[in-house]
Amino acid sequence: MPLNPEQGVVNAFKEYLVEREASQVKMVGHATTIATNTLLGQINLDLPETALVTTAGFKDVIEIGRQRRAEVYNLFFERPSMLVKRRHRYELDERVGHTGEVLKPLDEEHLHAVINEMRRDGVQSAAVGFLNSYANPVHEERVCEALRKKLPGVYVTASTSISNEYREFERFSTAVVNAALMPVMHTYITQLDEDLQGLGLEAPLYVMQSNGGMAKSNVISLKPATVVESGPAAGVIAAAWLGEQTGTRDIISFDMGGTTAKAGTVRGRVPEVVPEYEVAGKIHMGRLIKGSGYPVRFPFIDLAECSAGGGTIAKAVNGSLQVGPVSAGAEPGPACYGRGGMDATITDANLLLGRLNPGSLLSGGMDIYPGLAEEAFDRLASSLGVSAEEAAVSVIRIANSMMSKILRIVSVERGYDPRGFSLVAFGGAGPMHVCALAEELEINHIIVPPNPGMFSALGLLTADLFHDYSTPIIRDATEIDPPNLEEAYLEMETEGSATLTQENIPDSQRRYIRALDIRYRGQGFELNVETATPVTRASIRDSVKKFHAKHREVYGYSAVDEPVELVNAKLRVVGQLEKPRLKRRRKNRSDLPQVTRRVYYEAPGEWIDTAVHQRQSLEGLREGPAVVEQYDSTTVVYPEWSCRPDDYGNLVLRRLTR
Amino acid sequence: MTVDITTVEVIKGALVYAAEEMGIALKKSAYSPNIKERMDHSCALFNHRRELIAQAEHIPVHLGSMALAVRVGLETYRGTLEPGDMLLLNDPYISGTHLPDLTLIAPVYSDGEVVAYAANKAHHTDVGGKTPGSIAADSTELYQEGIIIPPVKLVHRGVIDQDIQAIIRSNVRTPEVQMGDIRAQIAANNTGIRRVQELTESYGVDTLHEAMDAIMDYSERRMREELSAMPDGVYSAVDYMEDILPGGGDVEIAVAVTKQGDEATFDYAGTSDQVERPVNAPLGVTVAGIYYTMISVTDPTIPVNDGCFRPITLRIPEGCMMNPRRPAPVAGGNVETSQRNVDVLMKAFSQILPERVPAAGQGTMNNITIGGALPDGRPWTFYETIGGGSGGRPMGDGVDGIHINMTNTMNTPIETLEAYLPLRFKAYRLRPDSGGPGKYRGGCGIERTWTLTSEKAVLSIMAERNKIPPWGLQGGRPGGLGVYTLVRATGEEERLPSKCTVEIRRGDTLVILTPGGGGFGDPVERLVEKVADDVANGLVSPESAERDYGVVFNPIRLEVKELRRS
Repeated sequence: MPLNPEQGVVNAFKEYLVEREASQVKMVGHATTIATNTLLGQINLDLPETALVTTAGFKDVIEIGRQRRAEVYNLFFERPSMLVKRRHRYELDERVGHTGEVLKPLDEEHLHAVINEMRRDGVQSAAVGFLNSYANPVHEERVCEALRKKLPGVYVTASTSISNEYREFERFSTAVVNAALMPVMHTYITQLDEDLQGLGLEAPLYVMQSNGGMAKSNVISLKPATVVESGPAAGVIAAAWLGEQTGTRDIISFDMGGTTAKAGTVRGRVPEVVPEYEVAGKIHMGRLIKGSGYPVRFPFIDLAECSAGGGTIAKAVNGSLQVGPVSAGAEPGPACYGRGGMDATITDANLLLGRLNPGSLLSGGMDIYPGLAEEAFDRLASSLGVSAEEAAVSVIRIANSMMSKILRIVSVERGYDPRGFSLVAFGGAGPMHVCALAEELEINHIIVPPNPGMFSALGLLTADLFHDYSTPIIRDATEIDPPNLEEAYLEMETEGSATLTQENIPDSQRRYIRALDIRYRGQGFELNVETATPVTRASIRDSVKKFHAKHREVYGYSAVDEPVELVNAKLRVVGQLEKPRLKRRRKNRSDLPQVTRRVYYEAPGEWIDTAVHQRQSLEGLREGPAVVEQYDSTTVVYPEWSCRPDDYGNLVLRRLTR
Repeated sequence: MTVDITTVEVIKGALVYAAEEMGIALKKSAYSPNIKERMDHSCALFNHRRELIAQAEHIPVHLGSMALAVRVGLETYRGTLEPGDMLLLNDPYISGTHLPDLTLIAPVYSDGEVVAYAANKAHHTDVGGKTPGSIAADSTELYQEGIIIPPVKLVHRGVIDQDIQAIIRSNVRTPEVQMGDIRAQIAANNTGIRRVQELTESYGVDTLHEAMDAIMDYSERRMREELSAMPDGVYSAVDYMEDILPGGGDVEIAVAVTKQGDEATFDYAGTSDQVERPVNAPLGVTVAGIYYTMISVTDPTIPVNDGCFRPITLRIPEGCMMNPRRPAPVAGGNVETSQRNVDVLMKAFSQILPERVPAAGQGTMNNITIGGALPDGRPWTFYETIGGGSGGRPMGDGVDGIHINMTNTMNTPIETLEAYLPLRFKAYRLRPDSGGPGKYRGGCGIERTWTLTSEKAVLSIMAERNKIPPWGLQGGRPGGLGVYTLVRATGEEERLPSKCTVEIRRGDTLVILTPGGGGFGDPVERLVEKVADDVANGLVSPESAERDYGVVFNPIRLEVKELRRS
């Protein structure tokens, strides 16, 4: 990761604006993996000294979590390392009851003592979460106000401002993740916003959220927890759009960048979503382990991910080879970049095995130093007692097995047979590994979009703006006062509408989708059903009816005589944006003269002289083995595979026989 | 064998996912916090021969015993199961655990034949008996512990039998909750049935059976490889449960593990006879402990199914605590005795695989059951278990405040409890100085404290390790003992025994301190930085650092002053 990660974006804009006017830019859409990478322990992205201010007696709620271990049979299980050290959890005398009544007023003197302690301890960002604050946030608000006043420069997150629902651990955890990300993300987004304005861009900066919708930069800089899976979410949205444009129904999206690889599923052109996610969670045997990451309560595009990216570092540990989780990112980057990286990475392995152009990358825009990659692998190989080539092959094998597991998570483990799916491969490194993974899952159809390295960005042009709001109700359906509930919705709509105004969305492009989380009284989980505007007795009855029906559909039964409880009023505010269409490409007359180079394929386990094509001039069917180079990526077509550009410039790979 | 490896993989993944999805359906549509929040339930799929084929990783004590419940339950039932029928049972001498665990079994039909079974087991908050929550600490026979349900057809072609429902409703304290949870159990089985039928539609019945056989054969091969790699020999161990016999005597669980070639025999000769206290462990519980231990100390990546256990022989004398005869009471068998069973087994395996076995963890589940009447007169019951420290491990510290071994239930959010029950929480935090000192420290226990806000309630505690602490290994010290203190509204304090039933009143406060894990290795070998970190984080006091670890701290600034470690 570069020291000033926004600089890359700014440089790209500078280049773009050489031949264009800044005033022509109507919108800037952005997705970033900085939040994820910060939590995954990326070099140069340090987590701040994060604090939690909470109700006296409950400082360890965020550590104990749900008190269950992530892996039942693993005697060596570990909790994820705490984002807030125990010594930075501050307890305050206060108490609010579940109905919202103040049982014990906030002790102001105690508060001031705690603030002094936090100052002395060098706290940089603070989450504030009190028991039952969902019912009444008065103490949270008071503490946040005091912190902002007395500790200027310290970032502050109230749990109810980021996740206004009951269940203390999940709410506190969401707040803590937000607090831990604030310094890095706030600096990043604010700097980017300023730099872009400095270039004369007046268009708003939108950032992709984990729910697959966009939001404006100033909203995001205060709620970085909503963009943790921003980059990957954009990738799946783009894959869904590509599916729509090419008539491909069921897709596994495979995105391999510099730090991680991610997989998502699109079924019937709709990306799969989950209501809560554990960020930076562990994957064991191809599964994201509940309790291994940091829960964030926010809708997430359903993704599986692992630490296998181009910059992922391979190390020898007790004589065995370990790939990841640490990444050299883009700075210093792989050893072969010649920027001081000394560790052997997946990119270095690909270079040694002939998959990457040994002369330069980015169409000559960046020099590559194979000698440095060799040296890094010599060092790694000698501590393993093998040759550099053997070590490189092992690194690729291990990385591929890690990645095939995440593809299995989103297909086989969901009960879908991957053989009926198409793989859409993107991210700079995705197309280099995709054939090996397709072999593993017996997938016969791969689509490599025109610009794999920038494909996720396309998702930003095909998404709408989403803002999700929630107000807790927790009351029997029969006890609801319609005007009260209507007011709760109107409040949320006012807030959402103000946000859309800031985002320059005209009235005609605004949509408000109201929903209710409903359950039978005593149930622990809710079903989400849409509800009509305005709220009336009839609309509530209608939603309850829908709930019974949905319960029957999802769980096989309904209990119409049981009391029904409305848990949360939910509002999704949508700002609709224009979407692009794929253009038919012009056919190339002929292929440019080819070169060949020796490439290692692990399936037959040998080096094969391989034709090297240029993507922009490739035409017609080519049988593998073949390497297709382009500015932002390299596609490796394995033996037994063919490739052919389609009418829209996608490279379509097919398995010849199986 | 005609089925290809990929198909086996796909079917295996789909079956495991189906079992997990059953769990999700059960959890989501359940009523009681016990299931909906804590996930005190398990789901599994069986083949047509009633062999366990896929399980969701929920509660080990259920899964080992569910195999027994399904096999014996179906053998005992006299009638036939048609499509849409489901069998309900909770008789511990058939279903293998205790009465609150209701097992529901459904056949999966395809083209008129049974191709598989979907089953789940869920811990209900009340099944009647002498105390709310049905885990009385002083029962002397099974009949006091609640309604006993032999295998009966609760669901006829998709419809609940009203007569059976009426009997259940009349025998439990909170019939709405219990029936709600039973409906959720039905929904879970329906999910499993649907998923298996999808597989038979895609692949055909023959392929499904072949794949299931291949999945079990694979697990058997892996387990035999693991056993072969262990040194042959007989390895024995003993551990105790406290205050069981009249007058406060302890009882003994003894095991001898004989490892020969690629097989192992578990012999419980020498274990105390069954007792007239509710700590007898039905066979299913004992077997579950053995299965759990085998998988944990070998390779947890081995897919868990009946294949894993083919190389294992059991010798568990009838009439001993680990294989009691009816009508010995069993309520605490699968929550407490099951934990000690694993302690004994782990102690034996620490001689076989010293690099893979941790020191003893908290060794209890700290079962709390409480019930009374709400202001409007409606009865309420609540059951929970509380985590503690896990044992220090070869190469690493134990984990603080977590559930170990035979349970893995989640806590119920305090915000949920306060919204529905007359309890107000005072503390939920880690307990300093409770982790057993060691080169690798045992995990700390938990403090959980609440006050009753209604007029009165009945409290039952079923716990262990309040007298005999969790053991350390290789020079590590024992973990801290558990302590239960009742602070009356008057301020009067009363130390409660580890197994008791008491009446509490408005304003009474229960302070629960759960045990820590034992330490691993000599504490003076612990890295000074780790001791300093524990002190800075308040998990080890400066006094303990000096006394146990030989690291002296400046008491004000908490900096290391000197080392006394010779």
